[in-house]
Amino acid sequence: MPGRPLPVADDLSASFWAAAAEHRLVIARCFRCNELTHPPDLVCPHCHHTDPQFRFEPVSGSGTVCSWTVLHQSFLPGFDDDLPLLLVDVRLDEGDVRLIGRLLGGADAALRAGSRVTVTFEDLAPGVAIPAFALVPEA
Amino acid sequence: MTFKRDAVAVAGYAQSPIVRHFDRTLGAVALDTAKQAITDAGLRVDQIDGFTSSALFPTAGAHAMQDGVSMVTSNWLAEHLGVNPTYVSGFQGVGQLPGSVMLAVNAIASGAATHVLVHRALHNPAGSYHGNPMQEASGSNQWTAPQGFFGPLAMIGMTYNEYLQRYGACRESMAAVLVEARKNGARIPWSYWHDRPLTADEYLAAPLVSEPICRYDADIPVDGVACFVLTSAERARDLPNKPVYVRGFGMGAPTRRRLPLHWPLDDLYEVGTETARRLWTTSGLGPGDLDVPQLYDGFSPFVYFWLEVLGLCPVGEAHRLVKDGGIDSDSRTGLPVLSGGGALGNGRMHGVPQMLECYLQLSGRAGERQREKATVGLACHSSPHFGGAIVYGADV
Ligand SMILES: [Zn+2]
Repeated sequence: MPGRPLPVADDLSASFWAAAAEHRLVIARCFRCNELTHPPDLVCPHCHHTDPQFRFEPVSGSGTVCSWTVLHQSFLPGFDDDLPLLLVDVRLDEGDVRLIGRLLGGADAALRAGSRVTVTFEDLAPGVAIPAFALVPEA
Repeated sequence: MTFKRDAVAVAGYAQSPIVRHFDRTLGAVALDTAKQAITDAGLRVDQIDGFTSSALFPTAGAHAMQDGVSMVTSNWLAEHLGVNPTYVSGFQGVGQLPGSVMLAVNAIASGAATHVLVHRALHNPAGSYHGNPMQEASGSNQWTAPQGFFGPLAMIGMTYNEYLQRYGACRESMAAVLVEARKNGARIPWSYWHDRPLTADEYLAAPLVSEPICRYDADIPVDGVACFVLTSAERARDLPNKPVYVRGFGMGAPTRRRLPLHWPLDDLYEVGTETARRLWTTSGLGPGDLDVPQLYDGFSPFVYFWLEVLGLCPVGEAHRLVKDGGIDSDSRTGLPVLSGGGALGNGRMHGVPQMLECYLQLSGRAGERQREKATVGLACHSSPHFGGAIVYGADV
């Protein structure tokens, strides 16, 4: 049985995946304009500098749910045992950075736009972990 | 910048049957459809000196891209028609059909070509349309595929849910969109859904694929080809059919870098509003002038998004408009936004049903479906923030 697809690190993403393997979320910051970008690009999408020398900085991993979808069918291998699969669209507290990941803890979680979440990680293979999210209990 | 309104016209067309699978190759059907369109325009094949199109095969799967089989480029079509054209070009962006039409407009207005054939050939491969056996997620896929966010159904589920949450809308309202699209598609002889309308109950009983999207919210993959012949307005007036002019256009692309297939609602409204502004600026018209506003509906929520960015209803109100019968093309007060059946009522023809309905209505060639007043049309394709639209006009 084929497993889930695994991320293939490249020159731009190597720092991100190395940190993720240690369960740390880091986001690229442009040395010139200081803006955060995800995913990183060849050129800074804010100031268009062609050599943004991204620094991958730790972020809090806290954020707000903007939307979500529950998948009942996957077009990729390795997910069938996890269906239905709840994916959340999260805006990080650090700015206009949006991540999409699984919300761990079941597809019937009580979600609303504005729900607070924090990053966690799914270990997919030795040395390979990807960001996911967990609900922060409402006060 | 001043757009040259009504300088170029659509002079003829042909539409193949839209079926699940052709019993011939896509290329063979494309050639026959092209010849039919050229004849329809009152021209001979050797008079066609320009070819424009997009050959995009819109699958997330790992299907082979083979010219003449799974897609058809303009170069392939010209070569196999036995023509050596002065101008051939393929459109690279999203909003493939309006993009291809604009390449033709530019070629004709500049004098690079005289008669241009615009075509779109779409293929439904054997097996799963979007299924992909990927084990290594490289390039842009690395950011989302390992999480399971992959393919356009997950994409639109996320955006549609953001809309439902923000505006307090419910899935039930969308039934009116599906019923309207399939009602009109059922009246169209070449449609995959000919004679097969859909009820609201059938729509609401369908299993969810990517909540809140069910299978009926997505157009069905098909084999189908459509061709249009464009020429200068001046020459079009000497040809057999009533000319339908290109009066204005609007195109847009996302301005913020996002994850692949991530379409936040704010991005969509921001860029979509600018796309609409460009439509009104180039055409000199506004939303109240449209007799035949054909909205793109490859996924049903696009109908809401286009209604709102075009100003046909206030932002956040489209779900109420459709629920209250506001897009019933048989009603005197309804906006006929899906009178041509759209993608949901024809099959995955990527903007063709919208353009074709504008052409047929504005040229007075819609037969039993002909609307009384049809002099200004709009044909949209894709999302308002990642696509385009053309305003068509006819002589009153
Ligand atoms: Zn920068």
